[in-house]
Amino acid sequence: MRDRKHIVTIFSLIVFVIIIGVIARLILKPDSFGEHGQYRWNAVSELQKQEIVNQNISTCAKCHDDIYQLHEKDAHFSVPCVDCHGAGNLHVLFHEGGDSAKQITKEQAALPKEYKLEGCLFCHKKLKARPSDFPQINQEDHYKFLNVPDLKTKCIECHSPHQPVFMLTAVREARIHPIVYRCTECHDKKPEQSFKEVAGHPAIFECNDCHPKIVKSFNERPHHKYIECRTCHLYHKENETTGRIYKNGNARFCLLCHEKKPFKDENYPPKIEWPSHVGNSNIITKSDEKICLNCHADRIHDMDVKIRANPHSSDWVSTHKNFAKVQLTVCQGCHTSNDCSSCHSKTKPVSHNQNWRKQHPSFGAKNQSTCEMCHKKDACMNCHKLSMPHPKGFEDNHKEVATQKGKAVCMNCHKEEFCKQCH
Amino acid sequence: MEKIERRQFIKLGLFSTAGILVGSFFAFAKTEKDIEVNSYEDLLKFDWGYIVDTTRCIGCGSCVRACKVENEVPEGYFRTWVERFEITKDETVYVDSPKGAIEGFNRDNAQTAEIVKAFFVPKLCNHCYDAPCIQVCPVGASYRSPDKVVLVDKEHCVGCGYCVQACPYGVRYINEEKGVADKCTLCYHRIQKGLAPACVNSCPRNARIYGNLKDPNSEINKVLHQRRYGLLKPDLGTNPKCFYIGLDKEVK
Repeated sequence: MRDRKHIVTIFSLIVFVIIIGVIARLILKPDSFGEHGQYRWNAVSELQKQEIVNQNISTCAKCHDDIYQLHEKDAHFSVPCVDCHGAGNLHVLFHEGGDSAKQITKEQAALPKEYKLEGCLFCHKKLKARPSDFPQINQEDHYKFLNVPDLKTKCIECHSPHQPVFMLTAVREARIHPIVYRCTECHDKKPEQSFKEVAGHPAIFECNDCHPKIVKSFNERPHHKYIECRTCHLYHKENETTGRIYKNGNARFCLLCHEKKPFKDENYPPKIEWPSHVGNSNIITKSDEKICLNCHADRIHDMDVKIRANPHSSDWVSTHKNFAKVQLTVCQGCHTSNDCSSCHSKTKPVSHNQNWRKQHPSFGAKNQSTCEMCHKKDACMNCHKLSMPHPKGFEDNHKEVATQKGKAVCMNCHKEEFCKQCH
Repeated sequence: MEKIERRQFIKLGLFSTAGILVGSFFAFAKTEKDIEVNSYEDLLKFDWGYIVDTTRCIGCGSCVRACKVENEVPEGYFRTWVERFEITKDETVYVDSPKGAIEGFNRDNAQTAEIVKAFFVPKLCNHCYDAPCIQVCPVGASYRSPDKVVLVDKEHCVGCGYCVQACPYGVRYINEEKGVADKCTLCYHRIQKGLAPACVNSCPRNARIYGNLKDPNSEINKVLHQRRYGLLKPDLGTNPKCFYIGLDKEVK
């Protein structure tokens, strides 16, 4: 009997624990646990409800279709809006309106429009680990090459982020190096008229404008029939600050056309065996130090690159103001800001020291146009009461002037002895 | 005296057990909400896979920034990050990932020696078929969803951190604010609505591709049939689902 009581106690305890366990499981087990596996099925749906923050490019395109169209057709087409402008969820909510929009301020909804320099460099800074075919720059070299003195200058001063391949319109229209444009890049067909005959057409800098002698010598030699300047001179080399646009003068570049290969036409252009060509010649013994141009430069063009012409028109001093207002970046292609401040600084030019009063007549007689950069044309009248320097034939009629305006006017510059030399 | 004590003890025990049960009932019970989500059967049609094309990655860090904003990842932790490998002429390997590349890369890491080979490798959860993090979870809070994404049930997780240690790829972290384990969800809320995960959405070079492995015509399957790819730590038997194109032997 006593044993039986023990057994009953033990079994009832076990049953009690099981019942407690079952009840506890019923109550404690989260909803939907084990419905489709050893996890809470509701957790899946809870995750699905998380708010979407980063906006899709198609969402942006609904309102900003104009920019979207530009963006789609250029090199940045695969760069989504969020990379530069931020996630944009508040921006979209705010402009969609509705209840949720009321809690968002205008400041919160605004997206960064001008992206800072570092932003571009996230992708375009030169790094060894980046694929070599991806465009990247060393900022210092790039700015030095372009004569941009301020390293904080933003990329968007020249490059439009939505159309990076084509530079900003102002720059593009000026046809600055290194991008040499053809008519057909804007026009469907090559126009019959030259751009010079079209009123208001943006200026196009052609090789000939600055290097007429080289272009002339090039046109007299055999290459000009088959290639053009930019076949060899693709781009400025960025690590050279001299502004040469010498692409590649080594043998490998010339051999692209001139090496004898089974798949090439035998006769034209003239082919050579390489590297036996070097060995056959008595002049050259080692190939690696010699480039084709060492011997064959005369086949191409005059090699003195310093022969230049002034690209500016004769009235440039007076008209450059209007150009620089709109297209300063173009000027910066060749000039540094020092060039501007040499005339336009608020302080007097260095030459205008205390002796300037005595020196200026001889300077003004030679360089009148330089004076007129800052001084108005009739500025001389303020002191001299005459147009200066004396016009031609002044000697003959100076008597009239002296009587009309009084002798004192002459005495400003000349002394009594000056009259006595003749009179 | 002895008997009374025992009876009192049992009574006390019973009442307290009942008290805890009732209390916990109120504490844990939740009213069910009606939410529109994809059904279980719908989810079974998917098996989300991921491709990282290391030959295209430029290390800009857009993905890291987008992920951070999208998922409110706490500072100092990352669900995805970009590593840079630089191999010099004397075969030394430099690996770095400053701040997970959230601010990009400022300069070459190996300054003294000549770099002969260098590349970026973005990292994220591999969503393994045989994920060790799921196996070690003591409360069943780490799980694989019907569409084969490894997820964390944040309501259920106790924050013990076993899974963080179990993951051979180091993609999990403890969200100290919420006290739960957290990881890449493949932007589960986005892919369910047909949108690309934030990192894929933000990649300017299409170096990241995601898609349904069960669909023979999907983009991801086309790429996998064309390109040569590798897996991270395949010898561990985790059976990862994140495929790396152009993987180098130095990448672990």
